[in-house]
Amino acid sequence: MRPDQRDIPEWLQTPQRYQPVADRDSFVSRNLLAVTSVLARFRLDDGHSGRLSPTAGSKVVLGLTCILLTSLARNHLFVLFVLAGVLARASLLPPRALARVAAGSGAAAGLTLLVMAPATLLGQPQSALSLATKSLVCVAITLIVSVTTAPSDLTHLLRRMGVPGIAILTVDLALRSIVCLGETAGEVLAALSLRSVGRNRRKQSSMGGVGGVVLLKAGRSAQDTHDAMRCRGFDGEYRVARHDMRPGWPDVACLVLLSLLLALFLYLQKVI
Amino acid sequence: MHIPENYLSPSTCAVAYAVMLPIWRIAAKRVSAEVPREKVPLIGIAAAFSFLAMMFNIPLPGGTTGHAVCGTLIAILFGPWPACLAISIALAIQAVFFGDGGILSFGANCLNMAFVLPFIGHSIYSAIRERVGGRRGELIGAGVGAYVGLNAAALLCAIEFGIQPLLFTDASGAALYCPYPVSVAVPAMMLGHLTVAGLAEVGFTVGILAFVRSAAPSFGIEDRSASKASFAPVLGLVAALVAACPLGLLATGDAWGEWATEDVAEMVGYAPSGLADGWEWSSLMPDYSVGALPEWAGYMVSAMIGVALLVIVFRLVAQATKGAVDFDV
Repeated sequence: MRPDQRDIPEWLQTPQRYQPVADRDSFVSRNLLAVTSVLARFRLDDGHSGRLSPTAGSKVVLGLTCILLTSLARNHLFVLFVLAGVLARASLLPPRALARVAAGSGAAAGLTLLVMAPATLLGQPQSALSLATKSLVCVAITLIVSVTTAPSDLTHLLRRMGVPGIAILTVDLALRSIVCLGETAGEVLAALSLRSVGRNRRKQSSMGGVGGVVLLKAGRSAQDTHDAMRCRGFDGEYRVARHDMRPGWPDVACLVLLSLLLALFLYLQKVI
Repeated sequence: MHIPENYLSPSTCAVAYAVMLPIWRIAAKRVSAEVPREKVPLIGIAAAFSFLAMMFNIPLPGGTTGHAVCGTLIAILFGPWPACLAISIALAIQAVFFGDGGILSFGANCLNMAFVLPFIGHSIYSAIRERVGGRRGELIGAGVGAYVGLNAAALLCAIEFGIQPLLFTDASGAALYCPYPVSVAVPAMMLGHLTVAGLAEVGFTVGILAFVRSAAPSFGIEDRSASKASFAPVLGLVAALVAACPLGLLATGDAWGEWATEDVAEMVGYAPSGLADGWEWSSLMPDYSVGALPEWAGYMVSAMIGVALLVIVFRLVAQATKGAVDFDV
């Protein structure tokens, strides 16, 4: 026995074949992080009105009517007419707004096609296409109204419609906080993914902790915002000036478009 | 010239895709490297010209119809590689949304109209530009390039149709796909394209090029300055073409090689089995029409959807493209 081998303890001389179990954090890194990153991109509070934009009221009424009529339409041509209008409007949006509308509506249409895949495989591709087109149109209209309307205009509109101040405050805070909370959830999940090395069951049980952190953060943010608003004299009432939302000729154009759509809808429903 | 589904054998379609895949890859690389980010959306507008030109059907000798493609026009304005990409996307929208051209035969359609047409057209245009200078040289080059380019594409398309009965027949010798051999397909297609469709391509190309050069000189890749205001006349022309596209319905009859299976059966006495039993894509608005409503309404809605989609696609591409830093400025 060589001197150096004599000094080494016996347990250390035993050959070891250590093969660490493959780390599995796809649940955290793929599923949950993906969901929260989508939430972080779900920004609905940074819309801008264009120079020729109608008032928020006209846009919301026209948008809601289009969505309602598209959903009720039995004639596919009506949906295609609305689709043509939506695509024409979307093609004139600023690049970032266009990318957001395209991503959101494309995802909705893709999801619908996926859900309707059995119908396609059973020989009914038209129903899948029809539903996917309707989803695309409805989501695109919602996103176009969102990206072309300033959040303050929406607040204004809600107040003019007589919605209670506390409801407006809740919606306002929710719209502004949803992105921040998505980012917070993403950060906490990234920390969890980095700290939890190897395979263990505690990763999934930590999800409750992530939810708790986000909840606490949400509560604290809401309280901070509310306190700041109180400091600036907010007493729970939104006061709006009447002249701020005076209708102009773009609103008249909206009204004409709305009438044409209604007439077309009624005519096409009869044609079937 | 839009080859429908099942007129070519799956192996012919596979060969066409195999040829087109590297071409699309090179085209995407060249567009990304050579076209400035602010010019990419303009390719979408140029593609809209092509899309709309293909909707204007023209009656051809022999009772069939044809149309212009404007491939040489896009190649002159932006170069042949961007033209290849633009026409490919226009053809994809036509195939997927309107059933104009097949999904399986999409590669073959792109090979004819998005590769052969703009490259041959642009080569002839460049050769003439070298010899004849000025505005006259540009328009003559555009006209001759457009004419030769369209006819070269039509010839290749006719050959693709014509080789089918030579290569693919059943045990009784009946054709499985397109039933007409080269000796029939080439004269039948070339007669219409050499006489009327080629001239229509010249008219569209020279007319739009002359208009664009005088109304919006910075529309194109040569002028690197991009001002939004200067493109209003071009957008106006696109809107006018959308409004006028129902004129394309005045030409009755089908284009050569774009018949329904029943019509083929009536003409040749049997329905080729590959054609009758082949796979078919269910498009959103088959033949640019919907239901029992007037054809012109469906045609205009289709034109609006197609043009808007092309503009959106190229604007999204521009958004995704990284802006290059010009160190010379």
